[in-house]
Amino acid sequence: MIRHREEYLNIFRVGEPQLRLLVAEALKGGGDYSDLYFEYTTYGNLMLRDSEVTSGGLHVDFGVGIRVLSGEKTGYAYSESTEMKDMVAAARAASAIAGGEGSTGSVNVTPEEAAAILKRSHDLADSFVPLHSNGERCVRKFFPGEPNPAADRYPVEIHWRRTECSAHLPFLNKLEEAVRRRDSRIIKVTATLAFQVTDVLMFNSLGELKYDTRPLASVAVSCVFSQGGKTENRSVSRSWRMGVEMLSDALVETLAEDAVKGIDERFEASRPKGGKMPVVMGAGASGILLHEAMGHAFEADFARKGQSIFTGRIGQRVCREGINILDDATIRYNRGALNYDDEGVPGQKTYMVEDGILTSFLHDRISARHFGVTPTGNGRRESFRYAPIPRMRATYMESGTATPSDLIGSVKKGIYVDEFSNGQVQIGEGDFTFYVKSGFLIEEGRLTRPVKDINIIGNGPRALAEMTGVAGDLIVDESAWTCGKSQNVPVSCGIPTVLIESLTVGGE
Amino acid sequence: MGKNLLTPEEIAIAERCITLSLEKGAEKARVTLTKSNLELCGMLDGELDKVTHALDRCITVALFAGGRFGTFSTNRLEEKELEGFLESAIGTVRMLAPDPCRDLPSPERTAKNAAEGGELGLYDSSIEDLTFEQRLSMARRSSCWKRKESIEKGFRLLSEEGEYSDSTSDTLILDTNGLRCRQYETSFEIGYEVTLEDLSGNLISGYWWDARTFLKDLLEPLESCSETAIRRAAAHIGPKKHEGGTMNLVVESECASKLVSPLLSALGGYALQQKNSFLDGKIGEKVFGDNVTLIDFPTKGGAYGSRLFDSEGVATKEGPIIENGVVKTCFLNTYMAAKMGLSPTVEDASRPTLLPVGGCRNLEDVLEKVGEGILVTGFNGGNSSAATGNFSYGIEGFRFENGKIVHPVREMLITGNFIDLWNHLLVTADDARCAMSKIIPTLAFGEVSISG
Repeated sequence: MIRHREEYLNIFRVGEPQLRLLVAEALKGGGDYSDLYFEYTTYGNLMLRDSEVTSGGLHVDFGVGIRVLSGEKTGYAYSESTEMKDMVAAARAASAIAGGEGSTGSVNVTPEEAAAILKRSHDLADSFVPLHSNGERCVRKFFPGEPNPAADRYPVEIHWRRTECSAHLPFLNKLEEAVRRRDSRIIKVTATLAFQVTDVLMFNSLGELKYDTRPLASVAVSCVFSQGGKTENRSVSRSWRMGVEMLSDALVETLAEDAVKGIDERFEASRPKGGKMPVVMGAGASGILLHEAMGHAFEADFARKGQSIFTGRIGQRVCREGINILDDATIRYNRGALNYDDEGVPGQKTYMVEDGILTSFLHDRISARHFGVTPTGNGRRESFRYAPIPRMRATYMESGTATPSDLIGSVKKGIYVDEFSNGQVQIGEGDFTFYVKSGFLIEEGRLTRPVKDINIIGNGPRALAEMTGVAGDLIVDESAWTCGKSQNVPVSCGIPTVLIESLTVGGE
Repeated sequence: MGKNLLTPEEIAIAERCITLSLEKGAEKARVTLTKSNLELCGMLDGELDKVTHALDRCITVALFAGGRFGTFSTNRLEEKELEGFLESAIGTVRMLAPDPCRDLPSPERTAKNAAEGGELGLYDSSIEDLTFEQRLSMARRSSCWKRKESIEKGFRLLSEEGEYSDSTSDTLILDTNGLRCRQYETSFEIGYEVTLEDLSGNLISGYWWDARTFLKDLLEPLESCSETAIRRAAAHIGPKKHEGGTMNLVVESECASKLVSPLLSALGGYALQQKNSFLDGKIGEKVFGDNVTLIDFPTKGGAYGSRLFDSEGVATKEGPIIENGVVKTCFLNTYMAAKMGLSPTVEDASRPTLLPVGGCRNLEDVLEKVGEGILVTGFNGGNSSAATGNFSYGIEGFRFENGKIVHPVREMLITGNFIDLWNHLLVTADDARCAMSKIIPTLAFGEVSISG
């Protein structure tokens, strides 16, 4: 949601001349770029437990983060107040990276000096030279222009901040009733609604001013089932950048159906015999493997520091022809959607792998400068308390031409998985491990008995190279995924049904 | 009072919040005021890469109004902002369903020995005199990048990233029953991550870290942190495939708490109340082997992780969690206890400590005693089921035979059930890291299912 610039300046009680003075103050002692990130976030949450919505809360976070870059080095400080003296103190603390004085006090740059400092920063940015690694692509250095409400990726019909919490209670009660109605084995239901609205205002020493209002809401339901003295649990969620209008009857039915899906199989499921075997990954939530095992290694800070297994592999084949992997901020209402990233770079669709060739990393301004390419709008942060770093948004693989039944039918003995959790990857080695929440054995091309409580382990680049089939059924999963690379940011992931020739499955 | 600790003016804001809550219509309230400060100098490949300065304040208010309950927080501490915030908060509380189980802890359960904040001796006043230059100097000294040629043997050091940081935190809890608890403490940390390339072009990563309450106790020399990270990474060069099977498993103290945390979670009030715990109904029963004794030592002076009160202000106390295999207690806050009709305890463990068994001092002793199996030095993904206790974790580490490490292994998994696993505890070392809040030594288990 994009409102008028004056509204944002009023929220943070600042004016544009002040912003210019502040970045100039931050750069006074040296450094070649500075930016300000103002944030006002309100969070609300409600929880239904034991059939009553008995707990809820509201939370407010407000402040400004100030960053100074000196080459690729970062100075960062923040203030929870937007009083000029507090912001100046933070600016001077951040300027320590470039040998700034680090003391507190009032602004002592004049408007004329500020104009000169900002011009210096602008000229330095203009002098960045694109490297050959960027191919024929245009290296864009500036992102001028006002945010455009007509291009908003998350317009809101009913505003969270203007709606009383009591209006949301019937939704959670309906959700619980719909879940319990579907399965008599349910002994506990917990349903939660979490919603937040974030106003951001960004200004930098290139003179770019950007602003945005980002809604984000999630509904989750967890059930505990009991049968014959055994218990099983299942949690499902949906999350979008939307307003209150997302709390529909259709969402109640979808979540309830999803919450009880596959429970019969879960009670019947057992650990299979482990070993190396082909793995077919179901469309949708299996995309978390793409996010963890490949996506993180495509984040350019790891490549810049020589820590990623894909370092130096731009332009090389990493998987079969026809496979495209991308990271996308443009999906309307998606949890990973952004009008602008947290450095004021426009949100966009970024292909990392095109027709099997690695063509781009995911960049923030620092890594883009390092590699001589245009920032890809992946500079993100958890809040004003953190400096931005390259992060994913909605990461997925485009559809291929096979069908899911083709892929399953081609496997003599293997495993089909459709829900993962707790994935982890070692960025350097590329090794990953994922816990399988549900799946099936594949025997002679058919799904046979259900499996659970197993892990799949492998190596990201190897798994990518051994991806031999991609179906045409891409689903971008709409669950409440949060990526925790030193800071939490909302993301989403997706994948069509794919076949990986060989992965290690840990079982009995 | 120390620099960056709560000021009398900030404490007055917390007190004013209690009064305002009652004025706005709450019958009871608890106010938690936190303040923290962080200074960080980060290094990349021997050069200063980042400096961070952070100062946070937050007020959290738990409100009880009309038999209803809600929790609210804000970092906008101006009186006018707080008034509007509390009005809105109480309006929200009144819309929720009543919950008779919500209440403040009774005054006899709360801590009476923590009014000043420094009682546990967790504050190092030397932090107040540290300058940016001194911090920078410690960060620079911690890097060994500039002499990497003398370290590189059979590998190339591709990346060395680390940071020195120090922080102060101060927490004050007040409630309308007259509770007043405060604790302030310092922390000094150093951590390094390295990436190596072996002679075949394979990348291997490693890390090491240390955290202390007192600067004088922090790892010395500082560069040994990066050196340890490099040594640990280099040890994993040349992994060999191991088929696995049912065998002995030794878990290094660095990562051993991974196998204790699920036991503590299963004894948490929320898991028990939701019937989502594999230890449901097991209090008082012998569940684990005779040699498993886990005791909480929350009030040890000067010790990392110590605390005199939990987040409700309830006094913590020393006592067994598991004793000779018998489950002795669970963790019930005021709310969960009322929901379950049981007596409340504390909300969770503070410094759970596994008592060493078997007479081994360190990892080497354990390997010698156990003979052969797999040594785990890190976990890589995986999960466990809270309801069943079944687990499956990715592991990295080494194959050992005749008490000696023979080669690294990777891409392996362990699977099993926690109750079964802890009934096969063979021995432990006496080498728990004091930089952690869970005091768990190197562990050795028998008959663990390992696959590769």
